[in-house]
Amino acid sequence: MKKTILHIALLTSCLCGVGVRQVKAQQTAAQVFRAAGTPQNPKVTVNWTRYYDYDGLTEICAKLAKAYPDLVKLETIGDSYEGRRIWALTISDFTTGDPERKPAMYIDGNIHSNEIQGSEFALYTAWYLVENFQDNKFIQELLQQKTFYILPIINPDARHNFMHQPNTAQASRSGMIPLDDDGDGLVDEDVPDDLNKDGHITFMRRKSSNGRYVVDPQNPLRLIPAKPDQPGEYELLGYEGLDNDSDGLMNEDPPGYYDPSRDWGWNWQPNYIQPGAYKYPFSVPENRSVKDFVLRHPNIAGAQNYHHNGGMALNAQGAEDQNTFTREDNQVYDLLTRNAQQVIPGYTYSVVYKDLNSAFGGELDWFHGARGIFTFSNELMSPFLQLDRKVASGEEREAEQQELNKMLLLTDAFVEWKPFDHPTLGKIEIGGFKKNFPRAHPGFLLEEDAHRNMAFTVYQAYQLPQLVIQEVNTRKLSNGLTEVTATVANNRILPTHSSQDLKHRIERPDYISLRDSTVVSGMVLESAGANRGKEQKLNPARLEIPNVPGMGSVKVRWIVSATKPNLLVEVDSRKGGVVSQRF
Amino acid sequence: MKNTLKAALLGIAFTGISSYAVAQRDYQSYEQMTQRLQKLSSRYSKLVSLTTVGKTATGKEIWMLTMGRDNSANKPAIVVAAGVEGTQLATTELAVQMAEQMLQAAVLQDSVRELLQSKTFYIFPNLTPDASEQYHEKLRWERTGNAQPVDDDRDGRMFEDPFEDLNKDGLITMMRIKSPTGTFRPADADPRIMVKADAAKGEKGEYLLYTEGIDNDKDGKWNEDPEGGVQFNRNFTFDYPYFQEGAGEHPMSERETKAFADFLYDAKNVYAVFLFGPANTLSEPLRYDKAKASARIMTGLLEKDAAVNEQISKLYNTATRLRNAPRVAPSSGDVLQWAYFHYGRFSYSTPGWWTPKMEPTQDTTGGKSPLAASEHADVNFLRWAEANDVVGTFVNWQSIKHPDFPDQVVEIGGLAPYVKQTPPVRLLGPIAQKHFQFFSAYAKWMPSLQIVNIKSEKVDGGLTRITADVYNQGSLPTHAEIGDKSRWVQKVKVSLQLSDTQKIVSGNKIQLSNALAGGEKFQVSWLVNGKGYVSINAQSPMAGKQSKEVFLR
Repeated sequence: MKKTILHIALLTSCLCGVGVRQVKAQQTAAQVFRAAGTPQNPKVTVNWTRYYDYDGLTEICAKLAKAYPDLVKLETIGDSYEGRRIWALTISDFTTGDPERKPAMYIDGNIHSNEIQGSEFALYTAWYLVENFQDNKFIQELLQQKTFYILPIINPDARHNFMHQPNTAQASRSGMIPLDDDGDGLVDEDVPDDLNKDGHITFMRRKSSNGRYVVDPQNPLRLIPAKPDQPGEYELLGYEGLDNDSDGLMNEDPPGYYDPSRDWGWNWQPNYIQPGAYKYPFSVPENRSVKDFVLRHPNIAGAQNYHHNGGMALNAQGAEDQNTFTREDNQVYDLLTRNAQQVIPGYTYSVVYKDLNSAFGGELDWFHGARGIFTFSNELMSPFLQLDRKVASGEEREAEQQELNKMLLLTDAFVEWKPFDHPTLGKIEIGGFKKNFPRAHPGFLLEEDAHRNMAFTVYQAYQLPQLVIQEVNTRKLSNGLTEVTATVANNRILPTHSSQDLKHRIERPDYISLRDSTVVSGMVLESAGANRGKEQKLNPARLEIPNVPGMGSVKVRWIVSATKPNLLVEVDSRKGGVVSQRF
Repeated sequence: MKNTLKAALLGIAFTGISSYAVAQRDYQSYEQMTQRLQKLSSRYSKLVSLTTVGKTATGKEIWMLTMGRDNSANKPAIVVAAGVEGTQLATTELAVQMAEQMLQAAVLQDSVRELLQSKTFYIFPNLTPDASEQYHEKLRWERTGNAQPVDDDRDGRMFEDPFEDLNKDGLITMMRIKSPTGTFRPADADPRIMVKADAAKGEKGEYLLYTEGIDNDKDGKWNEDPEGGVQFNRNFTFDYPYFQEGAGEHPMSERETKAFADFLYDAKNVYAVFLFGPANTLSEPLRYDKAKASARIMTGLLEKDAAVNEQISKLYNTATRLRNAPRVAPSSGDVLQWAYFHYGRFSYSTPGWWTPKMEPTQDTTGGKSPLAASEHADVNFLRWAEANDVVGTFVNWQSIKHPDFPDQVVEIGGLAPYVKQTPPVRLLGPIAQKHFQFFSAYAKWMPSLQIVNIKSEKVDGGLTRITADVYNQGSLPTHAEIGDKSRWVQKVKVSLQLSDTQKIVSGNKIQLSNALAGGEKFQVSWLVNGKGYVSINAQSPMAGKQSKEVFLR
């Protein structure tokens, strides 16, 4: 309650405070020589080489909405468990039609709380589109035709916790609803403890001749396994912590734990089958709000859920044994992936159920399976971005992270090992990578990779269906009747309905209407060349088309009882937008 | 004010219904039932409370009776849920009558008072009131969906093909159309009942058979998109029927299902869930199937749980002596399977009431002809109704003019809606009584934790070793075997409580155990340094708790 008020206050202050006026950059526009592809003089200046907490992101969202009222709408779609507002940005050219009726690209980030960069990537996209709108013809046309829905932080409580409380780089992936993880009836009663009070949960090690680790002779910060015949120097004792509840285990009931991306209504399974599942699909309140938002926007035809790491694009479908893929859909995914591979070096393309452990109730699975939306989940911070731009794996990767820390970050990402007197473990040492490495991009890589991923989502948005009424022909028949034939084309690679959508009739058919009151009969032709089709008996003036395929067209025909029919044709597709034209 | 108005309108509506509808079957509307529950809870306020777990789309409350004396949330509980399917009005009546009988008995009998002292009963009389209320509307048809608008046939048009009361009797029945391509024929045993012609046996169909109405959207299907809704018993997470009619947008999408599940997930004390619903796993238990139970996505009961189901089924059949139950398997997205597989509790279902099987008769008095027993449920039902003077069960076929079949003979008729699920209320009292007996017996079998065989022995160095057995004194396990897998089931927990001057030298302060079968025990031991009293606590929200003190010398 208190928190909500605080957020409102904060938002209000930045709406009418500094953010209202154009923020003055440190240098004047005249002093800046424009780098290609970067806005010369942004109204909202943001340093994209660092991360922002929930309040910081909230402020950037508010500034964008204030600075570009014709391009940005900011709304709250619900509250998080701890009472933070979940923000949704609508980005489109509001002067050229209802954004709700344009084909839309959906982007979210940070569903896993430690995967923080998804928020910056999503928000960078919003910022980039609006700050370049004035000067960039491609972006102008894109925002005339398409809408972006950007939800930068869909797990705000845990982002706040990750940044402001001691954590590791790996944890937590959870949200902040306290849960009993060990079945003893107590919740979150044995969380890791920041023993050395440095804001990071690092590792504990103890000098021991029985340990099987030795210090890496190449890098004194690093422990490596002792050779089989070599005596060890250290034993590893896990993450910093205490046995807070005296049950003999350390850190066994951390915050949460549930996985917000195992909570979606597609192929959902309980925790004993799918670790991380909460009560039932959308039992996590943040997800329920996001789901409701998506259902309220049936114009969403493409989606990106940012995760990390690995540098892969995952497309649905996540869990085994439900084959929802078809050749047609695969073709679309392949075309989009080709672009990703070009703009994001090191990008590899995986299908979740084939190449990773299968997951039930994943977010992207729901977008694809239940809503028929073409969905990618880019796993950010590719190993490729590490030192030598080669994809390393396993032990090599860890060594490389150490090298990167040493050579490019000048050891900033590491807490040096220091002695500590532990109440139950005795004399130990504490040290290791900070929580901002290696899963979060170092600052110098953050902006570059945000840009590359933005470019990919913009490409996907460009390829959302673009419907045009290509031609309308008339032919006089006997008895004062006229035959009207119209061709509607889709000039992009995404269809108005994915195969999954068609198979389960997820979204209603597309409508092609002739605004003539004397329509006697109407039919959808089998193909462009064919002269036969299927008659629609009910309401023939508004013909129902199951799908307009990518880079394809459909042909429809009416018979009207008029010699000069009213040749106003309207196309109305949920995922393909609305077009109307008089001939 | 509003309610009075509604009731008045309802009264007007009632006068419009033909004599079929009201006569004899005095099932209650939502308003009437609400008043009855409120009266019950104020009359027995020391034993029961009436609360709501949520509201439906039309603002109706989802009522729950909590029966049991003080501290009900901390005592092992049984859930009895009825009205999970909108057409099963008798289940609601059964659950409420049973609650009334239990409360009356608790005033008079020590054993029942004790039952409500030691256990809690959560009774949900009607989980889908928006659907069942259709029984009381001006047009009566068997509605299963709630009031959440759903485009059943997913064509982008809402409610575009509803039923029409073509013969104006206030009831939606069937229509049959005489047709050479028909696939139905009159049943031999009772020509009023239409049965599918079996081409393999050389039978020929004479009729097309549809529900009463018009094909409003001209798609060749009759009444495929009427008003409403999502089915409560089809919206749960287990084996959820994606994209199927009545299933909803996603599992747990509905106010009713979510409210019910949210309450239960918080209620750690729920030991078992009993449903008065369509499936029957009490007359005939679900069997153990190794392949189904060991698959990654389990679809069969675990071995120990199947054994318990068999045990409970025997108890049910002995206590109720109800025979000839119809065999109805669990269904996709139902509450029953969710409660077991995903909520991790024992779960059982019975329709409670079903049409008794009519024995063959040799009676030829008054020109009657002898009848063989019929396997056809509708034929059997009509014979039973006739023998028990239940009126208004059948609308005789009568021809009408139908715009969709201008030149064909179309007749309206068939079983009146709801009749197979709404026997005369007077018949339900004895059945409620039998279920009350069953639940009393069941509660006696429930687990109970005891701490026994406590030993404390001196060890060198001023230490004391404490050992004890935590014993399940009941006949049933402390929780279902599936509960050991579920994060929503708390394990049996044993802990040692110490003062500041005492210290555990060996052994964990908290020790957890998986399910303990009836009569099974779990040994705990600690090595403690110090003097004076320590206490051992054994507890499970579903199996109770016990605390024993031990003196250290």
